[in-house]
Amino acid sequence: MSRRERKRPDAVVRVVARMLLGPVLMVAAALIAKGYAEVGDGFGAGVAVSLVIALVYVALGGAEAEAALPVLRHAPKLAVGGLLLALASGFFPLLLGEPPVSHRPAVGEHVVKIGALELFTPLVLDVGVFLLVVGVLTVLLHHLARSDDEVR
Amino acid sequence: MAVVRGDVPAGREASARPGLGLDWLGWIASALAAVVFALVLGGWLTGGMAVSFPWAPTLDLRLSFALDGLGALYALLATGVGTLVFAYGTGYLTVHLEHEGRPAGERWRFWPWMALFAVAMVGLATAQDLVLLFVFFDLTAVCSYFLIGFDRGRREARNAALMALLVTVVSAVAMLVAAVLLYAEYGTFSIPELIARTGTGPVTTIAAALLAVAGVAKSAQVPLHFWLPRAMAAPTPVSAYLHSAAMVAAGVLVIARVHPLLERSAAVLTGLVVVGGLSIVIGGVLALRQDVLKQVLAYSTISQYGYLVLMYGIGSAAGNGAAAFYVLAHGVAKSALFMAAGAVTVATGEDRLSRLGGLGRRMPLLAVVTGLAAASLAALPLTVGFFKDELFFTAALGAGPLTAALAVAAAALTFAYIARFWILLFLGRPQTEAGEVSRVLVAPVAVLAVVSVLGGLVAAPFASLATAAGTVSHGGALTVTPAYHLDARPENIMALSAWVFGGLLLVARRPVGWASRGLAEAGERFGPRRIYEAGLHALERVSSAVHDREVRDLRTSIAAVLVPAGVLVALAFAVTPTAGAYTTGPVAGLDWLVLTLLGLVVVVALVIAGARDRLTVVLVLSVIGFALAAVYALVGAPDVALVAVVVETMLTLVFLAALARLPAEQPDRDLDEAVRVRNRRRDVVAGAVAGLAVFATVWGFLSQPAASTVASDLIRRTPAAHGGDVVTVIVADFRGLDTLVEITVLLVAVIGVVALLRRGRLW
Repeated sequence: MSRRERKRPDAVVRVVARMLLGPVLMVAAALIAKGYAEVGDGFGAGVAVSLVIALVYVALGGAEAEAALPVLRHAPKLAVGGLLLALASGFFPLLLGEPPVSHRPAVGEHVVKIGALELFTPLVLDVGVFLLVVGVLTVLLHHLARSDDEVR
Repeated sequence: MAVVRGDVPAGREASARPGLGLDWLGWIASALAAVVFALVLGGWLTGGMAVSFPWAPTLDLRLSFALDGLGALYALLATGVGTLVFAYGTGYLTVHLEHEGRPAGERWRFWPWMALFAVAMVGLATAQDLVLLFVFFDLTAVCSYFLIGFDRGRREARNAALMALLVTVVSAVAMLVAAVLLYAEYGTFSIPELIARTGTGPVTTIAAALLAVAGVAKSAQVPLHFWLPRAMAAPTPVSAYLHSAAMVAAGVLVIARVHPLLERSAAVLTGLVVVGGLSIVIGGVLALRQDVLKQVLAYSTISQYGYLVLMYGIGSAAGNGAAAFYVLAHGVAKSALFMAAGAVTVATGEDRLSRLGGLGRRMPLLAVVTGLAAASLAALPLTVGFFKDELFFTAALGAGPLTAALAVAAAALTFAYIARFWILLFLGRPQTEAGEVSRVLVAPVAVLAVVSVLGGLVAAPFASLATAAGTVSHGGALTVTPAYHLDARPENIMALSAWVFGGLLLVARRPVGWASRGLAEAGERFGPRRIYEAGLHALERVSSAVHDREVRDLRTSIAAVLVPAGVLVALAFAVTPTAGAYTTGPVAGLDWLVLTLLGLVVVVALVIAGARDRLTVVLVLSVIGFALAAVYALVGAPDVALVAVVVETMLTLVFLAALARLPAEQPDRDLDEAVRVRNRRRDVVAGAVAGLAVFATVWGFLSQPAASTVASDLIRRTPAAHGGDVVTVIVADFRGLDTLVEITVLLVAVIGVVALLRRGRLW
């Protein structure tokens, strides 16, 4: 395929894309923190963050995006770590002789709350899913963005 | 030792040198088999033992093993012969690998399977549960697949392995069906309980017949015998173990284990008699003219296990006791003969009787011990084999004159082919040079030959084991009392006439040759192997026809999923009364907004169907996604709506990125106009079938939403899980295990994508 001439995206898009990263992390944190009481969970939060990362890729192009956000190269570790975290949150009860996904504190016990944030093990599961989704989608974006330049 | 110092061919001398090092893996296997042998022997002598604990309680499955007489007999046979065959294998495999220029690491492809096979045999021998029996039965088949196909570079070895696997595993399914039938009727898989509970009746008869089919196929009985001669492509230790004392014995073991069930049906017993009789005659006659050493022994095995099936078909105390004794005596003699054949082939490089001869002077020890094993098989006095035929004749006499005549014919055939085997091998004019064979290839044969002779002198240990085993399979007390009687009792006369007839068969070589050749040709032309091959080819043709149709292009692959699904749904509708089931509710308020959005979806779907450009398709497709997300939001599912929106956006982006890498041209540009039109019509029909089916299903479901107690239950329990949002609580808690599996799948999927795009590099 002959590479078509690509117009560089508008300067506004390039700037805004990078600036959005902070706010979207905030939104993700909110989605996770209040997920148990209201709309939202780790999956939605993860996809929302990935969307901004995708916007950065679209705005800057693969190579430049990864140069601007060097933290992206940890995406595989993020995905694997998130999965392990989620699995650990589900299977730790086996060590205590209980069925998997028996969350703590158990039914009827008191839950420590910091504002809307409830400290219990489903939160770990949600954080794990969030990390996994961000990691997986970033890996996908990386490959779809890079291989064009490399293969051809 | 049977070692000749002479002009040894250079290549063979090289192969006798231990270049691959000691086969410690094989020796470990042998030592383990010896340890298990000692344990089983100790366990049996101290009165046996039984363990039983739950395996899958919800399915009523238990891991129940018992070391009763029958289990002890087969476990001792499998581990005892196993110890010797494994020791023999350490020598044989080294020579074999060196001869083929394969590295020592190939031993890891051999010994683990052999050891697992021995374990499976012990498990099979002691299992007291039909499902457990099935598991071990198939485990032996899987092991045999890898062992028969050990020389995977050779086509016939691979085909033989597949044939053995298919014949024995497919018929093993019969056993599973029988187990399920019996469970449905009597509520247990436990064999002792089933024996106590079953009565006569069609269910018992069918189950018994199925069990018998599984056993008969495993024991290589006519008409499912054809896999065994092919399986001789295996290395000799495999044949000496699997095809004398283990794999084929497993079939008879199953028949013995469930024999009290088989006895509930006279038809099944008669069937066993017929199959056994046919196997004796066909195996024996074909063995008479085989040229390849191991083929003689393979057809002999078919014939010998025919004896056993015949005896179990006769049933009765005499039949069961005789069968148990026979397994023991035959297993010992036959593995010795297989190992002797392997030793001869290693020494001379020849495996055909016509190219061998006169080895008696070169390898006197091997000749003597092989002669003893052959004598035991041919039931000559002073060997344990004599008693096996004596008991066999007693059982046959009890079943009537026809069976008695068959028994004499069987013994005569055995005498003739095994005498021919030994005479052509060790007597006459030397035809080939014989090189050195290591002691480890001869000693196991000698040990088994000595056991055969000792058993002929003191039969009591064999007899007590056979008594215990026969008691289990008969389901009632019996005693096996082998002894020499120097009088004119019918058994002795039958034995004498068998030897005389056998001698005549040996002398009358020409007519015997014709008969055997005629039978072999008839078998080649009309035999069951032809049916097997034709069946296999037909299956292959069907498979490739379906495959071609399905994967011709992306559209046919999708149609292959959608059209059958649609047709099945249509069939479901055809047999379900649907009058009045479809309703349309009133439209009010927000519904008008929902209707508008759904109308948009319909229009957009039509636009997509007509679009020629991929980019258009993707973008317009995202309109459907967003419209549906809006519908979710309107009907009160904000969680779903949120996920739908973010996922839809992400999906469209990924879709576009992926599309950028496809070629710009239409894939069907090379096709004729006519073909293109036909393809388009096919696409329309496939889409319509699938779409209408989904439409009807969804409408039907929305007309009568299932009154689910699950949903209200989940809503009621949500506060107990410290949650306010039911959807999140379901995902994280109620169905948390599903979520864990799904997210694992997500990572696996991305690894798959990476493997396709970048050869597995994650970044």
